[in-house]
Amino acid sequence: MNHDEVLRLLGAYLDGELDLPKCVEIEEHVAGCEACRERMEAEAELIGTVREEAPRFEAPAFLETRIRAMVREAAGETTVRKWMAFPWLWSGLAVAAVAVVLMFGYFRAPGLPGIVRDAVADHVRSLQVNHLMDVASTDQHTVKPWFAGKLNYSPQVIDLTTSGYPLVGGRLDVLDGQNVAAIIYGRRKHFINLFIWPASGSGLPSRPYTLNGYHVLGWTKGGMNYLAVSELGEQEFEDFAKLIQEQTSPARPGE
Amino acid sequence: MNQHRDEGREPGPPGFEQVFMPHLDAAYNLARWLLRNDHDAEDAVQEAFLRAYKAFPRFRGGEGKAWLMTIVRNVCFTMMKRAGSRGTEEPFDEEVHQESAQAEMREAFRQKANAETLQAALEKLPEEYREIIVLHDLEGLAYKEIAAVIGVPIGTVMSRLSRARGRLRAEITTSNPEMR
Repeated sequence: MNHDEVLRLLGAYLDGELDLPKCVEIEEHVAGCEACRERMEAEAELIGTVREEAPRFEAPAFLETRIRAMVREAAGETTVRKWMAFPWLWSGLAVAAVAVVLMFGYFRAPGLPGIVRDAVADHVRSLQVNHLMDVASTDQHTVKPWFAGKLNYSPQVIDLTTSGYPLVGGRLDVLDGQNVAAIIYGRRKHFINLFIWPASGSGLPSRPYTLNGYHVLGWTKGGMNYLAVSELGEQEFEDFAKLIQEQTSPARPGE
Repeated sequence: MNQHRDEGREPGPPGFEQVFMPHLDAAYNLARWLLRNDHDAEDAVQEAFLRAYKAFPRFRGGEGKAWLMTIVRNVCFTMMKRAGSRGTEEPFDEEVHQESAQAEMREAFRQKANAETLQAALEKLPEEYREIIVLHDLEGLAYKEIAAVIGVPIGTVMSRLSRARGRLRAEITTSNPEMR
């Protein structure tokens, strides 16, 4: 890779947007090129400063209230209007409604396991103010002991900072009526909740799900169930799951 | 995973609010940076949520944030066009902003790069540069998502972001705190 090409790709490299072969080429060039190294440091400094110093404007509280009210009003209006416009549809709709209720009664559970709903709800709640974590730490040796005494098992806390998924903290949560450990990882401005509990507890969903844009993926390793939830892009989410799976030791952690 | 998309979504407001309300701050942040005014940003975000709600039946799941940001951006640009405020940024003076030596520039940058100068410098950037820095560095969208939001190829996102940062650096290093 020549000098100009490196300079052109420097930003994308620092943003983690390049594939591995390109990253290696850039690193090789920069190792032997003083000017490029200078440039890269300066660029990293600029990006870091923007992230840390540039103000992020927050929506005023009344705006949320106003929007929720507006959406509910719009929802009410369309429903009423449709009904009034097609009165002959009422009987048909009533029949359809009964059919839907019956169908859901029978098929809802296998279609979407309760634990998936629960996990997404926990994840969404965790993103709300002051609920993300009970112990905030980027150090796995702080997060792991924090669970001792709160759970009768000790979850493995894997540090994926070097892979671009920094550890954010831990939390005690409830999933399907049982206490579980929730380990939180970050990825840019997104978060991943990784729920962990003994395999003897609630069962995992049999396959991956996507609910309201949140991906849910479960697996078992070393006698523990793992369930990851995030609004991350699918590829990054799967990469994350793979990394955790690879780094979890197969032995059952001490109880 | 694709074929299993969103089987649990219910029609109507609960689904909508669950998907999009978590991105309210992101929507507001983008609108506020583009319009540079609290009141306009509030109006734009409210309008964007209404449009998103009406288009929600067509939402196919996936990245709700990028989807919402596309609408916010469209609303903002429409508002700016109506107000005739596009192109109001100050002309970029190439001579003043000439690249000085790397080391000097970094020193000047370090001395001046605080929240206040950074905000002033960002607000001076042309809209296409400002929005791409906000979308990437403040809101954490990936290049691919930004490409979808602003409707350009990924390669353009990369080169535009790089130019935007260069220009931002120049604005910061040549800024004069006393002039503010």
